[in-house]
Amino acid sequence: MIQFTHVYKSYAADHPVLQDINFSVAAGEFVFVTGPSGAGKSTLLKLVAGLEAPTRGRIDVNGQRLDQLTPRAKPYLRRAVGVILQDTHLLYDRNAIENVMLPLAVTGHSYAQSLSRARAALQKVGLAGKEKVNPMALSGGEQQRLAIARAIVNRPALLIADEPTANLDRETARKVMTVFRDFNQVGVTTLVATHDEELMAEFAHRVLIIEPGRMQDFPVRRSA
Amino acid sequence: MNRWLVQHRYAMTVVLRRLALQPFSFLTNLVVLALILTLPLLGASVLISVQPLAKEVRATPVLTIYMDPNASQAQGKEIEKRILDSGDPAISKVEFVRKEDALNQLKRNQAWRQALEVLEDNPLPDAIVVHLNTSEDNLAQIANALAKQWRTWDRVAMVQLDSIWVQRLEALLRLARIGLFLVTVVVALVVLSAVFNTVRMQALSQRDEIAVARLVGATESFVRRPFLYQGALTCALSCLLAFVLTEVTLGPLNDAIGSLAKTYNTLFRLEMPSASILLTYLFCACLLGALSARWSVTRNTRF
Repeated sequence: MIQFTHVYKSYAADHPVLQDINFSVAAGEFVFVTGPSGAGKSTLLKLVAGLEAPTRGRIDVNGQRLDQLTPRAKPYLRRAVGVILQDTHLLYDRNAIENVMLPLAVTGHSYAQSLSRARAALQKVGLAGKEKVNPMALSGGEQQRLAIARAIVNRPALLIADEPTANLDRETARKVMTVFRDFNQVGVTTLVATHDEELMAEFAHRVLIIEPGRMQDFPVRRSA
Repeated sequence: MNRWLVQHRYAMTVVLRRLALQPFSFLTNLVVLALILTLPLLGASVLISVQPLAKEVRATPVLTIYMDPNASQAQGKEIEKRILDSGDPAISKVEFVRKEDALNQLKRNQAWRQALEVLEDNPLPDAIVVHLNTSEDNLAQIANALAKQWRTWDRVAMVQLDSIWVQRLEALLRLARIGLFLVTVVVALVVLSAVFNTVRMQALSQRDEIAVARLVGATESFVRRPFLYQGALTCALSCLLAFVLTEVTLGPLNDAIGSLAKTYNTLFRLEMPSASILLTYLFCACLLGALSARWSVTRNTRF
């Protein structure tokens, strides 16, 4: 599903963020990406989603080589990848269900289809009954779940989330992580960046650790 | 096909929602554009209305030589022959009009008949009507030179330049057409910059929405489409409002012109351009709005 081969990324010549990253994630895996702040977790996820381009190296996602994708083809890759960023990027000028319906409008679904699929997505993340609520009126955990609903409504093959449980209390964080696990159990490959060791211990099937600076090794730890 | 229609309907819904969120700003913009778009329409109305008038009047310049009332018909014929013999290439036709024929022609007019009946003698002189070639350059100058020369001839009482003013009117109309073209170009530039700026502001205020749409896989066409519709819709509505404004403005103008025309015993009205011209104008305005919006959104959403 994901293959990184000798990937480098730097925003300035003297400030490398990722160096010689090599790893692969198979379809259906649930993988945590962790490491200290500034190690490049967010950059790594953005590279997977095609939101950033590597300085050097090759990235394959969902059978497509990203550096060979034309600008016209990139949006179609993004439709196969559900992205939840650290900032939820919800639209506050529309209600919860309208936020979830946006990806369906992008793919040209009719209003009726969009409505029913968005309702189903909200139900899956435990937000049934909150369709007409403005995202601003939702709690942090609910906003995070709304962002997840928006990311999964187009039934992506890959779900990536950057610190989805940051700023959430333990119970809410567990609920959010349970949502990810539920999607993973129906075959969605899931890649989550987090600092939370307790959650990793509870939910992780596999953990990738990024260290700042040049990476000699890219350790992989498997939990039971 | 269905998906394509759904996406266009969605874009239209987005536009209407955005416009509904800022009704005052939208209406102000609409009125400003409508006022600007009215200018070429008013100019076209004047030109289109005056053009038939210029065509109606005989456009061939004519010089009329009036003989001395005491001159004989033979002397008049001699003048006609002299002009024909000169072989001047500026002259296309010469005709001799006997004073009796002129009187009969005048009597056909009911208003003149009564006045002429009280006169004992025919007050009209013999006349020679000289038609000039319209292909000649500097026709006005040539006509003036000929008139000056013929006035010196014996038994010639008066030489009158009949239709030179029509030539001048046509020249003025040509000038007005160029003027109207330039005004239209300026208006197009103003519309272009107004739509460009409105869409720029709108794109900046929709930054989050655009970023999220791209994040979930929106193509650039999907991002641009609502802005294109917004540009085209704004221009279409402004254009329709401009039609109304033009019609409203022509009302009082026609009242004033009508009163003036009555004093010349004629009828004259400024007319709206034809439906086909108005439709073309509407289409061009929409196209201009859409192109300007596309240019603006392409430039201002590179983030």
